[in-house]
Amino acid sequence: MKYSLAVLSLCALPAYANVNITGNVAAKCVIQTDKSGVYGNPSASVLSTAPSDGGVLPVVRFDVALADYYTANITHPTSFSSSPVLSDSVAWTGSTAVTNTSDAGMSGYNAAKTVVGSTTIFDLTVAGSTWFSTSSTATYAASKPFSGGTYVAVVQATCIAK
Amino acid sequence: MLSRLTALLICVASLVTAHEMTPAYPEIKPSHVKGVVKAQLTLVNQREDIKYYLVEVFDKNFINIPFSSPYRIMKLDYKERKNFEVYLRKIDLRRAVYICTTSKVLKQRSSKTLVSSRICSRIDGGTA
Repeated sequence: MKYSLAVLSLCALPAYANVNITGNVAAKCVIQTDKSGVYGNPSASVLSTAPSDGGVLPVVRFDVALADYYTANITHPTSFSSSPVLSDSVAWTGSTAVTNTSDAGMSGYNAAKTVVGSTTIFDLTVAGSTWFSTSSTATYAASKPFSGGTYVAVVQATCIAK
Repeated sequence: MLSRLTALLICVASLVTAHEMTPAYPEIKPSHVKGVVKAQLTLVNQREDIKYYLVEVFDKNFINIPFSSPYRIMKLDYKERKNFEVYLRKIDLRRAVYICTTSKVLKQRSSKTLVSSRICSRIDGGTA
């Protein structure tokens, strides 16, 4: 018995198996809403997201896995999505800027941005994360006071494959 | 230690509010219906404040193109992932450029700006 076990143990070769781990890095864009904005009401006829006006700037982060596959198109509001009834027109202003980046190569994004109407377009030429903040100001016509109530506007953050 | 904790908190905070759609360049395949092609995409909702996403197809000028999908408005719970198909007529394929999903924001009760996120994949064999 001992002999047969010894013979068998000599025959039992160790089994090897190669287990592959594969991965795929593909072009991908993820939009993160870091902060929803808040309108401050510095005067009766003005709603503003500027911190100096008591507001909070909305912050959106774009993560792209590969360089040069996407553009970030961010549109500041030009109307309220919900508000009390307003009998007069509202003047809108706004802008979008890069406020933080994960890579030094993104430092030129602000200088290279293009503005078309209310939309600011950034070419995401470097892989990584970019933080954008959007300012928005609504001024009621002829400096009339806004009616009491809740005012909501929407910032559209779009990631478009090139 | 504090900086690591801060970085961790930033990461955790940012991980819970994402909208993700892949692939950037979906493959157009024939469908089971003659004259109709399909593209398959995956949507991930990591935005706790969003439950519905609108699916749209556009031409290069962002004008709507007719399409069919089981989910024109898609309900996705927080952290849910869903594969979906978009069906297009072959005759519309020449004009169709983008398939986009847009988050639908709910009515709020405080004066604020909301962020609606939209991700567009390209189906015309676009170049990067």
